[in-house]
Amino acid sequence: MADPLLVQFGIAVTAIALVGALASRIGLSVIPAYIVVGILVGPNPPTAIGDVSLRLVRTGEFIDLLAELGIVFLLFFLGLEFSLQQLVSNRDRLVKVGLVDLGINFLLGLGLGVLFGFSWLESFFLAGIVYISSSAVITKSLIDQGWIANAESEPILGTLVFEDIFIAVYLALLSAVALGEGTPMDAAISIGTSIAFLALLVGVAWYGSEYVERLFQTESNELFLLRVTGITVLIAGTALAMGISEAVAAFFVGTMFSQTDHVSRIEQVLSPTRDLFAAVFFFSIGLSTDITLLADVLLLLGVAVLITTIGKFVSGTLSGRSYGLDRTRSFRVGLGMVPRGEFSLVLSTLAMSVGTGALGELIPAFTVGYVLIMSILGTLLIQHADRVTNTLETAFT
Amino acid sequence: MTIYESEIPGVGHKFELELDGEERLVVIIHHDGKRELYRRPSPNEDSVKLASLTGKKARQLGSILEGAYFQPVEMDELNVPLGESIIEWIEVKAESPLTGQTLEEAAIRRRTGVSVIAIQRGEETIANPKPDTTIESGDILVAIGTREEQAELTTLLTTDEGN
Repeated sequence: MADPLLVQFGIAVTAIALVGALASRIGLSVIPAYIVVGILVGPNPPTAIGDVSLRLVRTGEFIDLLAELGIVFLLFFLGLEFSLQQLVSNRDRLVKVGLVDLGINFLLGLGLGVLFGFSWLESFFLAGIVYISSSAVITKSLIDQGWIANAESEPILGTLVFEDIFIAVYLALLSAVALGEGTPMDAAISIGTSIAFLALLVGVAWYGSEYVERLFQTESNELFLLRVTGITVLIAGTALAMGISEAVAAFFVGTMFSQTDHVSRIEQVLSPTRDLFAAVFFFSIGLSTDITLLADVLLLLGVAVLITTIGKFVSGTLSGRSYGLDRTRSFRVGLGMVPRGEFSLVLSTLAMSVGTGALGELIPAFTVGYVLIMSILGTLLIQHADRVTNTLETAFT
Repeated sequence: MTIYESEIPGVGHKFELELDGEERLVVIIHHDGKRELYRRPSPNEDSVKLASLTGKKARQLGSILEGAYFQPVEMDELNVPLGESIIEWIEVKAESPLTGQTLEEAAIRRRTGVSVIAIQRGEETIANPKPDTTIESGDILVAIGTREEQAELTTLLTTDEGN
């Protein structure tokens, strides 16, 4: 059946909308729902219910493009909301909780990779994937749960800020190393161009904010949307063409705007665009997932879920303590950090684009399973935090 | 009063207002304009969500709290065009510097521009009060004047001015 592309896209967005509504109804994060529906209607098994074909949406250039825009917008907003002032004013505390979080969870990931016989590069990907908590899922849960107005939200949000900056730098390094494979000379050139290009963007972000401010001054929301989207996608695309991660470039374009007065307008005007493309990104992850591959990573998945949940719980509890919170609240910080999501998937997309060894199939399959479990488990842990902390309190006293 | 402001990445801004003792009022302004209001009785207790408001409703609430926004619901009896003026009902608190003074001593019209056209005292309404009528705590002054003048009266009636 040769459906027009429009029908496929219609099916995709409708499916996303339906499961999104369902997930919100039962109080779960929407990200796993988008992935699952992608798996269901995609070209990989399961392919049919009885005689009804489920291969409704085939991956193709157009979905890939929209998904890529999803990554670009996710990272662009990350850069946009990146607050230098906040970072500087809370520097000591932030760095402390950030390092505790990094030290425990990143090393756990690295150890996991070595234990399961991955190469160093593969292990570094794995470490990044299990380390980075999901800002999107966590902030949403904080709001739903009312924790956002409590003291525990501070160390949680602080750690997220640290993680987000770390992951931007990490993506840049990892993609330079992974994509610049070949002779050490090639790698050096690749890393060099990345650094030069990103330094240019950082320079504009730092010194050119007044210029950016004026360049994007316009009454019309429509023209504003077009200009910001245009420049962001153009720079991200150019970066990609030069062999630099588009996600990292988009992050720096975001920071370029973060110093201007356009921030709240971008948030109002461009959020819907981001939401649409980001949803398609999660959906496309589902499309390209072959769940039969999950069987090969089942053990790794089980071990990873167990130890990284404990890892975040421990690092979060320590962070809460260092912010002077009582035990119950510190436990909440630990539980709050458990959800993983969008950035793990961005990392696995990068891994897939490298495509060698375990990076091509095994790690992406693992990441999908991992994000599905951790986003749901994490949301549930936050929702039932009182019961969990009560149990822990009695266990420890 | 101390107000703490902080940015919440991806969400918006958070303001914490110190109330009496350890109690705090927490206001979250989301990027999409939604406002959420929480009350936290003490640092060790959980915040309780009081309300979620749209941008417009939040601005109305804000101006009501500020004393600048008041729309009497029952205006049936008042058919007289008031021009710029509005009628407001303002309670005299016990700590108000005007309690115990007569209307003449308080010189409300001279100091604020509003005219006190009636005083509600419990069940009783003193229409057209005389200059020697004493203002008592708990009285509700029915005053006519422009918005600015009404705001002046509110200031006059609160003790803050004296401090």
